[in-house]
Amino acid sequence: MSKIGFISATRISVIAGHTFTQLVRMKVFYFLVVFAVIVLASQFVDMSTLGAVKAVEQNLRVMKGAGFFAMNMFSVILALSATALLLPKDIEDRTLYTILCKPVPRLDYLIGKLLGVVALVTVGLLVMDGLFCLILNIRVEAMVAEQADLLTRMGRSAEVIESHAAAIREQGVTWSLQAGVIAVLLKAIVVASIALLVSTFSTSTIFTIIITVVVVLIGLIQAEARDYFLQQQSLGMSSPMLEMTRWISLLFPDFKLLGIEDGVINGERVSWSLLGRVSLAGVLYAAIYTVLSWFVFRRKEL
Amino acid sequence: MAGKEVAAVEIVDLVKEYPSSFRRKMYRAVDEVSLRIEQGEVYGLIGPNGSGKSTTMKALLGLVAPTSGLCKVFGCDSMKVDARQHVGFLPENPYFYKHQTAEETLKFYGRLCGMRGKQLAMRIDALIELVSLQDARKRRLGGYSKGMLQRVGLAQAMIQEPQLLVLDEPTAGVDPVGSRQIRNLIFQLKEQGVTVFLCSHLLEQVQEVCDTVGIIFNGKMVQQGSLSELTSVDSHTEILVEDMDEATLAKVREVIEQGGGELLASGAPRRSLENLFIEIANQCGEEAR
Repeated sequence: MSKIGFISATRISVIAGHTFTQLVRMKVFYFLVVFAVIVLASQFVDMSTLGAVKAVEQNLRVMKGAGFFAMNMFSVILALSATALLLPKDIEDRTLYTILCKPVPRLDYLIGKLLGVVALVTVGLLVMDGLFCLILNIRVEAMVAEQADLLTRMGRSAEVIESHAAAIREQGVTWSLQAGVIAVLLKAIVVASIALLVSTFSTSTIFTIIITVVVVLIGLIQAEARDYFLQQQSLGMSSPMLEMTRWISLLFPDFKLLGIEDGVINGERVSWSLLGRVSLAGVLYAAIYTVLSWFVFRRKEL
Repeated sequence: MAGKEVAAVEIVDLVKEYPSSFRRKMYRAVDEVSLRIEQGEVYGLIGPNGSGKSTTMKALLGLVAPTSGLCKVFGCDSMKVDARQHVGFLPENPYFYKHQTAEETLKFYGRLCGMRGKQLAMRIDALIELVSLQDARKRRLGGYSKGMLQRVGLAQAMIQEPQLLVLDEPTAGVDPVGSRQIRNLIFQLKEQGVTVFLCSHLLEQVQEVCDTVGIIFNGKMVQQGSLSELTSVDSHTEILVEDMDEATLAKVREVIEQGGGELLASGAPRRSLENLFIEIANQCGEEAR
C-alpha cells in the first residue's frame, strides 16, 4: 500500500476550489451592491465649512473612512459567516464522511476549507478595492480640477497650484491605500482561522459565530486595555488586571497589530517594513489558529 | 496492493464507548466485535437499529477511534489515511453538495483520490452509465430524488476503483428496479474480485448477495458464518419437482412415510412480490420501447 503524504497541495487546492465555488453559488457576492451604495453615498459628504484645501482633504478622509469601514465590515462578516457555516454543515449533511473516507488527511481538509474562504474574501476585496479606487480617483481628479480653477482665478502661481494638487492626490489612490486593503484582508484571514478553530469543537453555526465575535472583540480592545493598566501602574496604582491582559495577549489575537488603515485614511505613508511586519503577524496568527484547529479536529469523532 | 493472504478487513475485539450525557457513565456502542472478511468476499452485517452496525463501519473507515481493539483494512490500521486508498464508502442516505451536478460531484471525489484528466473523465462516463444517470448528469443534485442521490453515492464510492466497498443500506430509498440493479452490481463487483462489506435491513437482499453474514445485537456479534451454515435446517430436506401429477405425489408421500420421514408441505412454490414487480416493470419497459 503506497504512502499518502502528510499534506498535499493538490488535494488542498481541490477542496479550496470546491469551497470557493460552493460559496459563490450561495450568491454571497450580492453584498457588493451594498458596498457600492455606501461608497457612492460617501461622495456626497461635503465639509466645505472647513475652508478650501482642508475641506477637500477632510472630504476625502471621510470617503476613505467609509470605504475602509465597509471593506472591513464586509470582509470580516464574509470570513466569519462562511467559515462558521462550512464545517458544521459538512458534519450535519454527512458530506464530511464521504470526503474523509477518501485518502484525505484532516489537515488537508481544514486548510482547503480555510483557503477557499480566503479566496472568496480576496476576490470580494479585490472587487471592492477596484470600485473604491475608481470612485476615489474620479473624486480626487474632480477636486484637483476644481481647486486649480479656484486658485487660478485667485491669481496663484503654477507652483502653488501644483503643490495643492499634489497635497490632494496624497489623499487619493496611493500604494499606502493598497497596503491598508492588504491589512483588511489579513484581519479577515485571522477571523476566518479563529472561526475555523471554534467550529472544530462547536456544535452549531450560531455558537461558532458568537464565540468568534467575542474573541474578535477581545482582540480589538486588548491593546487599549493593556495601555490603560500600564498607565495606571506608572501612576503607582497596581492592578491584577495588567497581569490578566498579558495572559489575554497570549491567547487572543491583537488586532491593533494589523490595524494600519487609520494612518492610511489620514494620508500617512506605509513603509514596506511596516507592511512586512503586519503581514507576518497576520500569517502567524492564522497559522497558529489553523494548527490548533487541526489538533482538535484530528481526533474528532464523526 | 496487499497480498492475497492479507484479509480485506480484520476487526479484532473492537470496543467503542461514548460518554453519556453527564459523562458519568460510558455507553458501549460496540462490544468486543471481531470479524474477518477475505478478499473478494461479500459480507453482510445485519442487526436492528442502534445495534452498532454503523459504529463498526465508522471505526473501519477511521471516522471514530476504537476505545480498544483494532481495525485493519488490507493489513493497514484503519486510523491511518493510507488505509483509505482502496476503500469506497456509501453512507446511509447520502447527502452531497446540492450546488454540484452529478458530474462535478464525481470529478471532485475523483480528484481527491488523485485522479486527473482523461482517466478521470472516462471513469466518470463509465460510472454515470453504470448507475443510469446519463440524462441527469448535468443537473444539480438539489433537484435529485432520494434514489438518484443513492446512485450518485454509489458512483462516488467506486470512483477510484476501490478493492473494498463499504455500503451502509445501499438500497435505502431506491425503487425495486434500482434495487435489483444495485444487487446485480454487487454480483458484478464480486466477479471482479472486489470485497463488499454491507449493512442492510433487507434480509432477503443480504441472503441473496452475501457469502458470509454477521448478526449484531446490542453491540455484540451474536452469530457469524457462511450463509449456507447459518440458514440451512439440518433436519429438513428440500425437493423441487416440475410437472408432477397428484398420483405420483401420493406415491412420494408414501415412500417418505415408509422411510420414517414426514412430508411437511407440498404445493406450487410462490415467486416473490419483488420478482413479479421486476417482471412487470421489464414488460412495461419493452412495450414502451
